[in-house]
Amino acid sequence: MPTVQLFVTCLVDTFYPETGHAIVRILRRLGVNVEFPQAQTCCGQPSFNAGLWKETRPVAENTIQVFESAPGPVIVPSGSCAIMIKHGYPELFSDDPEWLDRAQELSARTYEFTEYLVDVLGVTDLGARWPGKITYHASCHPTRHLGLNRQPLALLANVQDAELVTLPEYEECCGFGGVFSIKHPELSAEMLKRKITNIEISQAPTLVVTEAGCRLHIAGGLIRQKKPQRVVHIAEVLDHR
Amino acid sequence: MTLLFNQKIRQQIADPQLQAALDANADRRIAARQNAANALPDWAERRQRAHAVRMHVIDHLDEVLSLFIAKVEQNGIQVHRAKDAAEAIRLALEISHQAYPGRSNLLIAKGKSMVSEEIGFNPALQSAGHRVVETDLGEFIIQLRNEKPAHIITPAVHLRRKQVGELFHEKLGIPFTDDIPTLTAAARSTLREVFLNADIGVSGVNFGVAQSGTLCVVTNEGNGRMCTSIPRVHIALMGMERLLPSLDDLALFLSLLPRSATGQNLSVYTQLIHQPENSQEKHLIILDNGRSSVRNSSLQEILYCIRCGSCLNVCPIFREIGGHGYIGANGAVAPYPGPIGSVISPGLLGSNFSQLAQACTLCGACKEACPVDIDLPKLLLRVRAGKIPDPPAEKHQPSKLEYGLKIYSSISSKPRMFKLASRFVGLASNILPGYLHLPTLTGWGLSKDLARPAARSFRVDYREEDSKSKDEDFPQQISRPKKRDAGPVAQNREENAGKNALIERFDLELITLGGSVHRIRSQELQSAILRFLNDREIQHVQSWNDLPLKFGDALRQNDIEVSSVHSASIRAGITGALVGIAETGSLVIPGGEGRPLSASLVPEIHLAIVDSTCLVSSLEEALRLPEIVKAPATVIVTGPSRTADIEMTLTIGVHGPKELHVFLVDG
Repeated sequence: MPTVQLFVTCLVDTFYPETGHAIVRILRRLGVNVEFPQAQTCCGQPSFNAGLWKETRPVAENTIQVFESAPGPVIVPSGSCAIMIKHGYPELFSDDPEWLDRAQELSARTYEFTEYLVDVLGVTDLGARWPGKITYHASCHPTRHLGLNRQPLALLANVQDAELVTLPEYEECCGFGGVFSIKHPELSAEMLKRKITNIEISQAPTLVVTEAGCRLHIAGGLIRQKKPQRVVHIAEVLDHR
Repeated sequence: MTLLFNQKIRQQIADPQLQAALDANADRRIAARQNAANALPDWAERRQRAHAVRMHVIDHLDEVLSLFIAKVEQNGIQVHRAKDAAEAIRLALEISHQAYPGRSNLLIAKGKSMVSEEIGFNPALQSAGHRVVETDLGEFIIQLRNEKPAHIITPAVHLRRKQVGELFHEKLGIPFTDDIPTLTAAARSTLREVFLNADIGVSGVNFGVAQSGTLCVVTNEGNGRMCTSIPRVHIALMGMERLLPSLDDLALFLSLLPRSATGQNLSVYTQLIHQPENSQEKHLIILDNGRSSVRNSSLQEILYCIRCGSCLNVCPIFREIGGHGYIGANGAVAPYPGPIGSVISPGLLGSNFSQLAQACTLCGACKEACPVDIDLPKLLLRVRAGKIPDPPAEKHQPSKLEYGLKIYSSISSKPRMFKLASRFVGLASNILPGYLHLPTLTGWGLSKDLARPAARSFRVDYREEDSKSKDEDFPQQISRPKKRDAGPVAQNREENAGKNALIERFDLELITLGGSVHRIRSQELQSAILRFLNDREIQHVQSWNDLPLKFGDALRQNDIEVSSVHSASIRAGITGALVGIAETGSLVIPGGEGRPLSASLVPEIHLAIVDSTCLVSSLEEALRLPEIVKAPATVIVTGPSRTADIEMTLTIGVHGPKELHVFLVDG
């Protein structure tokens, strides 16, 4: 029975604990032993993306130390946090060989959730059921930076009773971009507007994402515009029966 | 500091004409690029090769550059090096002064060059008394409007046809029209005067080839060819990093650049310049202007850029604000906009432009579109971290947001603090509504509500779940990992294709471009061409001296005047060609003694006589022909001249010929 460590990420921890619980249930059903190190915090992405690299270092060091306590895969329900570990940490420690080694060791065994299911476990059918139309927003980080697209779509294709409809411009950014959404609210708003229009065109009541950041952003926009559609993380769909 | 920038962004977003123009650009260009890339089965592999070539060049820039300079000088072109913008301007003024002593009112015909924008070429030469006229249609339009280019490939991308119509009505005195061919024709006739009378032509350089000393200049309208070949003095401006080792590499890059820029297989005119023609004087100014410093910085990879503009077309931010939205802290428009500009502008011109890198969600569309696979998101993050070659001495005051992020980082580096903060947030959430309507000034509150944090964070509940839920979960068998698909098998290239297959392909490609192919036997050639000229009532042609079959004599016997030099009144030009390229429908036309390149450029109709055995399958094959480097200049013509500078609408016949007729001769 494989053992994995769950890096739940700060957004899921704080805003969407249900995503974390769904992942634990899914992995356990598959016979995977899940561990959750309590000392984990944030991956450091917000400050790293804002250019505050000096301040990010201790955050990254904490994450590395926490997950060094056990070997085996580290599962992250967010492509952008996975990217932070896989690309951001080596960048952050490029001038520090000791930490760079440790960062690369962690990076090599870090997987985004759907990547782990499909590419490592070889599972695409989780016996999930979700009645009605769903549509999928391909979040930028997992799609472009990790090349994950086939994986979430394969998993969704096997959800019983779900009708997966294509979201127009489904690979276009929703305008979240972390600190971007605060630094450039006008640009963020325009991009969100396009995304919400496309969700309406898709006629699906449920938008599936693989990133808590996009969820926080798009769901917040739907509420502000008083739209009925809702946003869920793919783990919640795959856990549903 | 970013106030001006945010203000500018709001202004751009609120401009409905601009928004319509930018949406149209994104829609058309993205589809065109994808189609062009999909048509090359080994696109992904070419991209990686191109990346490796550019990496090699930048890693060995000193060697490649000195080899290139030695070759160019050996070919008879005068090379000048400028360490910065001021020196480049001074050199250009000196060259002008030496070529035309005592004249301070020269007419300068200028082709498109981003380097000239970077160094402020036009204002500098104009303030010295010269008249500089931009001749690319898009550049011409924005020069009339006194603006900077809004895109590195399509300078007038921000305008709609009506605006151009009003502009031409006001500045050129033509009746108002929004008919794009009419507008293009008006620009053509105005600019034709400029070309034929210009004292100096100025162009950019797309690629310099070290092995052969080739200056490769790629254009569509024909204006670039006019600037490089008609005036007595030609000055080419190039960034020192725009080099490739060999002509084979050039073939690779020419397969990527036009496809990425405009979706064309090849641009209409690909010039390969080696030597000055006739009595012409040719100068090359090679510009550093911060490139050496960028090369020694962690932004080095940005020097791989080949200026195709595809990152602008796919960028969701560019789509909202266009090129003029990218301004520095002092309000100046960045010479290079978009994702590439948000790295290269602060890289070359300093921290005034660092704020551009903040206007980015790191979505990665730019990296995906880049034909040389530059990791733009990585470089944008480095700019954000202040890793530019010339960082400001003073640290800026952290903004409220940065201050907040510093506190958050500090908490995140201490697990106990994090847990405590998490509890506190959970407690507070009990008294909050489901969604918070934050005020606009928070940024977030402008367009969305904020979800309430969960009362019980994941970590709080996890322990409980851990102890109670383990048993009710049942293990399932894990299936074996599936092997990944092998991916699309690279299609076999059409090698060893028979002569007929080559002819058919050539025919098809050229017709698609708007040219025509006349297949003919050698004994019928003369009469066919005479008939063609008669039908069009053409009595005067510009022609090569050494056309096959004593062609010139036959024309003269039939009362057709034959000149070797161009003139505004000659309507048809007759040339041969070294070879035709089947896969792109192109003609490779060398210049030289008795073979004026202007015959394929200045007249409105171009007739080319090509032996049907002289077809090659690919550009790569063509560039290996020894004649290419022997000719003073060679042009690869791919269809009649064209532009899409107004609303991306294709218009045939700008400065070069409107019609291209290829007489393919058998036996």
